[in-house]
Amino acid sequence: MVSLPIPAPLPLPIARPSGKDDRFSRALFIQSLVAVATVILVAAPLAPVLWQSLIDRPLYEVGGLFTAENYVRLLSDAGFYKVVWNSLLLAFETTVVACVLGVAFAIFLERTNLPGRRALRAVVLWPMYISHLVIAFSWFVMYGPSGYITLLSEHWFGGALWNLYTIPGMAVVAGTGAAPLVYLFCASSAKAADATLEDAGRMMGAGSLRVIWSISIPLMRPAIIYSSLLIFIGSLEMLSVPLVFGRPVGLEFFTTFLYSRGLGGITPDYGLLGAAAAMLLVIISVLLAIQGLLLRNAGRFVTVKGKAQRRKLADLGPARWPLFVLFLIYNIVILGIPLVGIVTRSVTTFLTPLMAPLDLLTTDNFTLLFAYPAYVRSMTNSLVIATLGGAIATAFVAMVTLVVHRSEFRWRKQLEYVALYPRAVPGIVAGIGLFWAMMLLPGVDLLYGTIWILILAFTMRSIPTAFGAISPAMLQIGRELDQSARSCGADWWKTSRTIVLPLLKPAIFGAYVLLFLSFLKEYSSAVFLFTPGSEIIGTTMLSFWANGDTGPVAALSVIQLVITALFVFVARLLLRGHHDV
Amino acid sequence: MSELIVENLAKHFGEVRAIDGISFTVAEGEFLTLLGPSGCGKSTTLFAIAGLDTPTAGVIRVGGRTFFDGGQGILVPPEKRNCGLVFQSYALWPHMTVMDNLAFPLRIRKVSAADRKRRITTALELVEMGEYIQRFPHELSGGQQQRVALARTLVFEPALLLLDEPLSNLDAKLRIKARNWLKELQQQLGITTIYVTHDQIEALALSDRIAVMNKGSIVQLASPQEIYTRPSGAFVADFIGSSNFLRGRMKQRNSDGDAEVILESGLLVRTIWAPDVKEGTEVLVAVRPEHIRLTAAQPIANGANLLTGCITARSYLGARYQYTIDAAGTSIMVETEDSLDQPEVYASFDPEHAVVVLP
Ligand SMILES: Nc1ncnc2c1ncn2[C@@H]1O[C@H](COP(=O)(O)OP(=O)(O)O)[C@@H](O)[C@H]1O
Ligand SMILES: [Mg+2]
Repeated sequence: MVSLPIPAPLPLPIARPSGKDDRFSRALFIQSLVAVATVILVAAPLAPVLWQSLIDRPLYEVGGLFTAENYVRLLSDAGFYKVVWNSLLLAFETTVVACVLGVAFAIFLERTNLPGRRALRAVVLWPMYISHLVIAFSWFVMYGPSGYITLLSEHWFGGALWNLYTIPGMAVVAGTGAAPLVYLFCASSAKAADATLEDAGRMMGAGSLRVIWSISIPLMRPAIIYSSLLIFIGSLEMLSVPLVFGRPVGLEFFTTFLYSRGLGGITPDYGLLGAAAAMLLVIISVLLAIQGLLLRNAGRFVTVKGKAQRRKLADLGPARWPLFVLFLIYNIVILGIPLVGIVTRSVTTFLTPLMAPLDLLTTDNFTLLFAYPAYVRSMTNSLVIATLGGAIATAFVAMVTLVVHRSEFRWRKQLEYVALYPRAVPGIVAGIGLFWAMMLLPGVDLLYGTIWILILAFTMRSIPTAFGAISPAMLQIGRELDQSARSCGADWWKTSRTIVLPLLKPAIFGAYVLLFLSFLKEYSSAVFLFTPGSEIIGTTMLSFWANGDTGPVAALSVIQLVITALFVFVARLLLRGHHDV
Repeated sequence: MSELIVENLAKHFGEVRAIDGISFTVAEGEFLTLLGPSGCGKSTTLFAIAGLDTPTAGVIRVGGRTFFDGGQGILVPPEKRNCGLVFQSYALWPHMTVMDNLAFPLRIRKVSAADRKRRITTALELVEMGEYIQRFPHELSGGQQQRVALARTLVFEPALLLLDEPLSNLDAKLRIKARNWLKELQQQLGITTIYVTHDQIEALALSDRIAVMNKGSIVQLASPQEIYTRPSGAFVADFIGSSNFLRGRMKQRNSDGDAEVILESGLLVRTIWAPDVKEGTEVLVAVRPEHIRLTAAQPIANGANLLTGCITARSYLGARYQYTIDAAGTSIMVETEDSLDQPEVYASFDPEHAVVVLP
């Protein structure tokens, strides 16, 4: 052992004799700031909606009196019951389609020897990256009443075989788009489940398919419940499919009701709009509460990962190849054909089986987009919002996660509830609410007409997503790593900045990728908030669509798809090694 | 001046009383060990001193500074306590090199770059890890990580050194080496140290004083010798080494602690230390297995206590044998180097090795 002179003791730079002053520390300041910002962000769109639903005149007029009249009017309107019924029916049918498909994917791709399952696993996830609006437009171009394939089939069979302008038709469009989500949750629960349970079944003489039916599927039940409620809520909130396929035939849904009442008339009926929006909020909140109760123990973060276990795959026998062909056809029908359709439509003047597309080639659709500043702006705005807004939102949610999971902040539990609440706020309601908030609040109106109000709305909507992406990684970092930094003399913020956040880099980057993609796709909360100058791809697509200009819609869809594909490609390169995306 | 005073410290988790009102003082430069079985509240006590856990009630003072006072609502955050805490898992920051790990507390104290370098080198040499300065934690063995964790704590000259089972993740051989080395280091630095362990041998070897804890309370606080030879109760006697307990009644006790106890079998046992209790009180006589001699023939009377019994089990422990003796219905464990074959034996132990404890 070396004997060394001991250096003089070091003074702590900020030692105080008593702890009383320490309560007003930098940590508490930052934590309170984050909490207050979260509460304001979440409450800003909600409070005006609830307020408006309870007063007797537009909320910007002074002297409003409390009344239940809006609700009475809404509920005595027979048309509104039809709206609620349509919405619930569509949500139900969409959920059934998505669950049947998602569970089938999980079983065939994870538990059987289906040929090519590695490639298929990636392919079935692709619809998740694509905006609902683009999916709806693509289906419309190919399978709509005057779609390319529809006309082709009428030509061959003498009549239409399907009609997407019906609730079951819409459920197919929405359900196939939502199936990947069910697949993800069921696959991870299938992977995480104990393989020995299935082996035990097999030992008792059950055949492979029998084991899947009576053991594997029941084991997926929590995942099925969780994801089916997620999809039910998602389809209640969905604007795209009802707008594209319901409106032309007068089928009204909650979202289209709000959309047309809010934007349609010259003076919208504020009270009615507020009451309808509030009711949608309440319905979804109740559903989320049910989901929470059903899965109290299954964990708030039903994870999309699982430990890999060696398990027996069921042998499909001679049915392998026919099933493979079936999967191939499925993907071609629901993804391949619509994508080919929208790309073809973007480079032609017209799309019909009566004329060869090559004769109709044109670059006009794209030229048009780059000829007018408003269209160019919608693309640059979308990119800026996704890149910059996504980064701001990620940083903000990282702070929220830090306060909830890694601080002594008094209201951290409550903060978590607030942060997760936006799951219950449909985009269109958030849009209406923020729009009204701008009328009421001084200061917020300065944001009107800028992309910042959109970034605020998108950030609010995406808090739960990013929170769910960062939390599991944060909970995995040992507490003693921050505790040791604290006892070394670092305060909470220094510890967070130098120890916790650096260790979270991969998870934060993963959350950024998710938010970039969802900010690029988001449109429903923007329809009430954008103005000339702050248009985005989604809103521009909708206005072209309203005028029947399918060509530029297709061109914009293609541009959005290309940006998405490039971004996912780059993100995967950067994330190689961490499997977060 | 870094004397630690803990008064009536309590920490409740709902109904669970992790610490139930404990008090103790650690003198400047002293090495105190908190010893007790897992879950008795040692870590909670240590974390409360470090400020990482907010106690329910009580007072914690270090060197005249109040860190915590439940009554007055004083709570100093951990970063302002200047306590060096070494964790069971070492808690080295995985994204920093050894150098950066040690530089971290110095940067916070705004130590100049040159001084920082000097102090880091000194601390690493102190723990004999000078050559590993550029390594990352995952490139070090468990023992090396433990040394770096200690160096990271010593480098900023904390007022108190707090160690939470720092040796428990090392293998047996390394643990003994590290224990000796830690003891030397602490003596050399003269730093006030609180050491947490559930290993009684570590506690006996290292400490100036030991606080034996059970279920959130301190049951005895004394020097290792006293804890070992004069355990205050059955729990301590059994936890520190293992003991045989012979049931009996106090016959008489004189003022310097010598006492005589009548065992249930009627035999008289003399001991050199007993707590001050009334005649006739039910007590236990504690005798350690290694302090009992077994002989085939009756030993010459020399003032030792004598029992007779028969061997019911024996096992070979390498250097010694362990016998289980049945003495008038009481089962007694004995450890000795002697090999005995016949079942009937005499078991004798000196009064110096017998202490009376309360059941
Ligand atoms: N966060 C907590 N919540 C509830 N009980 C706790 C918590 N932390 C510790 N305890 C309980 O307090 C008691 C003391 O724990 P601890 O101080 O860690 O014991 P040890 O002596 O093993 O270090 C244990 O019974 C433990 O179960
Ligand atoms: Mg412990």
